[in-house]
Amino acid sequence: MSSIAEEKKSLPVTVEKAIPVSYDLGNLAVFDSNSLDRNDLDSSNAQREKHIKDVTRENVQLMINQILSLPIKSTTESAGGTSGQSASMTLVQLPDPISELPREKPLPKPKAPTKWEQFAAKKGIQPKERSGKMVYDEDAGQWVPKWGYKGANKKLDSQWLVEVDDQPKKAGDELIDPRTLSRAERKKVIKKNELQQKRNLKGAK
Amino acid sequence: MIRTVKPKNARAKRALDKKEPKMVENTKQALFVTGKSSNQVLHDAMVDLGALKKPDLKRFNKRNEVRPFEDAEPLEFFSEKNDCSLLVLSTSSKKRKNNLTFVRTFGYKVYDMIEMQISENYKFLSDFKKQTFAVGLKPMFSFQGAAFDTHPVYKQVKSLFLDFFRGTTSDLQDVAGLQHVISVTVQGDFEDGEPLPNVLFRVYKLKTYKSEQGGPKLPRVELEEVGPRFDFKIGRIRSPSPELEKEALKRAKQLEPRTIKNISSDDMGDKFGTIHMGKQDLGKLQTRKMKGLKPKFDQTRGDSETEDYMDDDEKDLQGGAEESYGEDFVTATDIDVEPPAKRFKK
Repeated sequence: MSSIAEEKKSLPVTVEKAIPVSYDLGNLAVFDSNSLDRNDLDSSNAQREKHIKDVTRENVQLMINQILSLPIKSTTESAGGTSGQSASMTLVQLPDPISELPREKPLPKPKAPTKWEQFAAKKGIQPKERSGKMVYDEDAGQWVPKWGYKGANKKLDSQWLVEVDDQPKKAGDELIDPRTLSRAERKKVIKKNELQQKRNLKGAK
Repeated sequence: MIRTVKPKNARAKRALDKKEPKMVENTKQALFVTGKSSNQVLHDAMVDLGALKKPDLKRFNKRNEVRPFEDAEPLEFFSEKNDCSLLVLSTSSKKRKNNLTFVRTFGYKVYDMIEMQISENYKFLSDFKKQTFAVGLKPMFSFQGAAFDTHPVYKQVKSLFLDFFRGTTSDLQDVAGLQHVISVTVQGDFEDGEPLPNVLFRVYKLKTYKSEQGGPKLPRVELEEVGPRFDFKIGRIRSPSPELEKEALKRAKQLEPRTIKNISSDDMGDKFGTIHMGKQDLGKLQTRKMKGLKPKFDQTRGDSETEDYMDDDEKDLQGGAEESYGEDFVTATDIDVEPPAKRFKK
């Protein structure tokens, strides 16, 4: 084996081509448009396989030279888990592929606008700036979430004493606990939003 | 078309979502379909081609009666059902012996088709009895022949082989993973009107040796054929329609690299920034502040304003100010008559 290695040592690493080859290094491909002799490649020719191999070798040599001159990124990746051994990898940064290849499926369609988005576009309404989930509670003197666990919208639920309006918003609500009413209101809003979501999804298809 | 029902559980939904068109696509899956008239040679050939494509492939064991150039619908059905966009069909007949039909689909519809017949001097992986390439490695490609750039049929062949075997696309490549090369050669140059020469498909394994000339960086590359070896004779062809081709080659706008404005770098790698500034208004330039240069003393103004400043002065005097603007102020005509001594002293 070593004798072969010695033998190869003196061989050149450069290749001369009449027409320079082109590369698509993103796909690791090389395109050689030099003329090919039909007699060399005829199936009756005994030297045929050798000829193909030689041409390919030249092209691969050119490509390897190109690839190894690309920017290199070395990483150490621990392999084998518990053994604690780590192997270093030499990674070459390839450019983007040039060859145009067809996609497998058409490009994904953009999401259909919701009813609100349509309305907002018509009226020229800009989206509100997001102010985050937390809101400052003046009474408690701390930041509390707008909704969810211990949310600001649940303030009424935990009060031991609740003021009752003189005139209830809806007739028949006089005798119902205001805490229950506030909770019911929240649930109603959630229901409504879910319904709107569903309607938008249906309209999108 | 396969009837799609609403998924009943999360797993089914995930599976359907996986099939949806994606912005960055998955590796194309290949489906090897055995035709009704397939034979042992074709079976072995498909196994070997599968070895190059592994692990992104599916294989049919049962035979299927498909005539793709007459009715491609069964293949489109297989494509959709298995979510594979590369199909290989094996058929053999008196007219087309040992024929492999390579079909690509776009959106589960046939994109292009090409028939390639395996000539007699084939050799399989098992015939070489050599240590072959590892599973799942990205191969290198070497295309020999000017026809791959000029002739529409060979362009299609090139596109097909690249698409079929290139595997996952990635911008990082392990140097140790460069193990085998797929060599595709046109059997000699040809003129228009002559029969199309064969396409020679070879696979070699790379061997690298240290070289004195290349130094520590560049090795000497040697090749060793590991198979499979096929000489493909080109048969019938169906190329994509221009509209379909345009649609399939579309690229997502979101994925295109953003043009970076105003930042450039020269050959030495130094970075330059261009700053765009509005034109400076020199009229507003702040120079040394002096009382006499106050805008209210501007002589270009009309007469009514000169009267204004006279009024101002009088007020100042009334306010008890010792210095008066009236005395300080010098006009060109005044200079000879009354030198402004007080001002210069200050």
